[in-house]
Amino acid sequence: MMRYLAGRVLRGLFTILLVMTFAFVVLRLSGDPALLIMTVDAPPEAIAAFRTSWGLDRPLWDQYVTYVLRAAIGDLGNSMRDGRPAIELVLDRVPATLAITIPAFLLKIGIGVPAGIYAALHRNSLADRLTMLVSVAGFTVPSFVLALVLVLVFSVKLGWLPSSGSETLAHAILPIVTLGTAGAAVIARFTRSAMLEVLGQPYIRAASAKGLTWRRVVTDHALPNAAIPTTTIIGFMIGALIAGAVVVESVFAWPGVGRLLVVAVANRDLAVVQALLIIIAATMVAANILVDLVYGWIDPRMRTRHPAGAQ
Amino acid sequence: MATAAVSLAPVQKTAHARFFEAWPPLTIAALAWIAGMVATALAADVLAPYPFTALDLKARLAPAVLLGGSWAHPFGTDELGRDVLSRLIMSIRMSLLIAFFGTMIAAVLGTTIGFVAAHFRRVVEAVVLMLIDFQASMPFLIIALSVLAFMGNSLSLFVVLMGFHSWERYARITRGLTISANEQGYASAVRQLGASSLRIYGLHVLPNIASTLIVSMTLTFPETILLESGLSFLGLGVQPPLTSLGNMVGYGREYLTRAPWIMLAPSAVIVLTTLSISIVGDWLRDRLDPTLR
Repeated sequence: MMRYLAGRVLRGLFTILLVMTFAFVVLRLSGDPALLIMTVDAPPEAIAAFRTSWGLDRPLWDQYVTYVLRAAIGDLGNSMRDGRPAIELVLDRVPATLAITIPAFLLKIGIGVPAGIYAALHRNSLADRLTMLVSVAGFTVPSFVLALVLVLVFSVKLGWLPSSGSETLAHAILPIVTLGTAGAAVIARFTRSAMLEVLGQPYIRAASAKGLTWRRVVTDHALPNAAIPTTTIIGFMIGALIAGAVVVESVFAWPGVGRLLVVAVANRDLAVVQALLIIIAATMVAANILVDLVYGWIDPRMRTRHPAGAQ
Repeated sequence: MATAAVSLAPVQKTAHARFFEAWPPLTIAALAWIAGMVATALAADVLAPYPFTALDLKARLAPAVLLGGSWAHPFGTDELGRDVLSRLIMSIRMSLLIAFFGTMIAAVLGTTIGFVAAHFRRVVEAVVLMLIDFQASMPFLIIALSVLAFMGNSLSLFVVLMGFHSWERYARITRGLTISANEQGYASAVRQLGASSLRIYGLHVLPNIASTLIVSMTLTFPETILLESGLSFLGLGVQPPLTSLGNMVGYGREYLTRAPWIMLAPSAVIVLTTLSISIVGDWLRDRLDPTLR
């Protein structure tokens, strides 16, 4: 188990290195940062000085090695716009993002999982059809449309809630509802699908046939098996806690990580974009490792790893 | 179970009832909407009452018919006096085209990679898992952004980019299901009979996991529409003068209070189209998955 975990962490670190390399290559190739940051009529000496201070005049491999080594000790460079450490700028925004994504996450699971299980257990009932219709509707409405409609109703027409900003608790309601609705729909759909898959298996029939009560069949046999695919989809959502609100934050002018990202990309603030990418990648990698561990715990079949076909 | 008891009961059903059992009205409506959208996309040039970039400066921000406008512009006009209906029709063509090719690229690419990983295991599987991790650890919005910034925003590049959006999901699903299929009786049975791996995966494993893949496709097709509209909404996707559904919503956002029809028409099309695909997807799943009957 420890060996598996160590291998998993190593692979995670390698993934982060890949992300860093991707960021380095694409962002360096996307243009000359010196010309992007400085104005067109800046004197050549100023541009040269900028290049030297950023190490842009050194060979690419040198820049790359320096970049990786510095990142390893938590130094992701300074913002090219205001000179503050990029990692600080990003971490400053994390609480604001979590303040809307964590309540939204709880909302998703709290609504999505029970709704999906209930719908699967009462398949083809009116409740099932209604749940799925609402879930499908919630899932197919894009977050920016839902956000704009909520603004149109609750801010413009009714005047109950503010349309953008982050001054009060009331400002967080519309972003949380927007994020939570879509996620709950996805979870409900997956949970129902997974439950139906499991309920059609022979071991469920066997469990019923040996005289277990339906309740026992569901709690002891169906739910643990259906938890496997559901865990995967929920795991992805944990990873998205930091980066999953880019559009919603943009619509509601919420000062979180997502908005920082959009602004940094628009400003071509390479250091901040890189810092964001690495932190987001690290969050996602950690979430994936967590999901794999939970996977091994709830599905004993995944613990044995032998080549295909061999028995 | 209750469902089994019902289907076993010798109840005489009319042909009418049997028809609607196989084809629920909601599914028929959804199929009709999809057919309508595909027809609109195919015949966009004929259907659009005006060229989609034509200005009518005398009729700027004219409301839609339902909101008190005239039939000259049934869905109203935007602040340059461009006909919203014509722009909507061209946007439907653009968004469906991008989503269709994007989903196809993702499904074919991801399923193939998943089979390859499940077949070879070991190093190949490790590399695939690493690529999956890489994809999953990067917010796709940002990959798209960096690539578009670097390579310029051409339509073909954007379509290919959409194809890279969800391949890892098909790969993950295919790999997982194929590994467990390889350990189940039927795959080993066919293997013992001497079938080639290509035959086992194509003719035996694929049909068995197809329902899950199709459910994924009915999730990723709308997602590709949503991703395209999201990027276009942020101004990073389809670029003017071309227009897509997300593009129109992003543009209409500026006129949310004064001219909500600019944003409402494309929003409704996005929602109804993605909704229809999901309904058809559910119905397909029930039809295709024999274990659930």
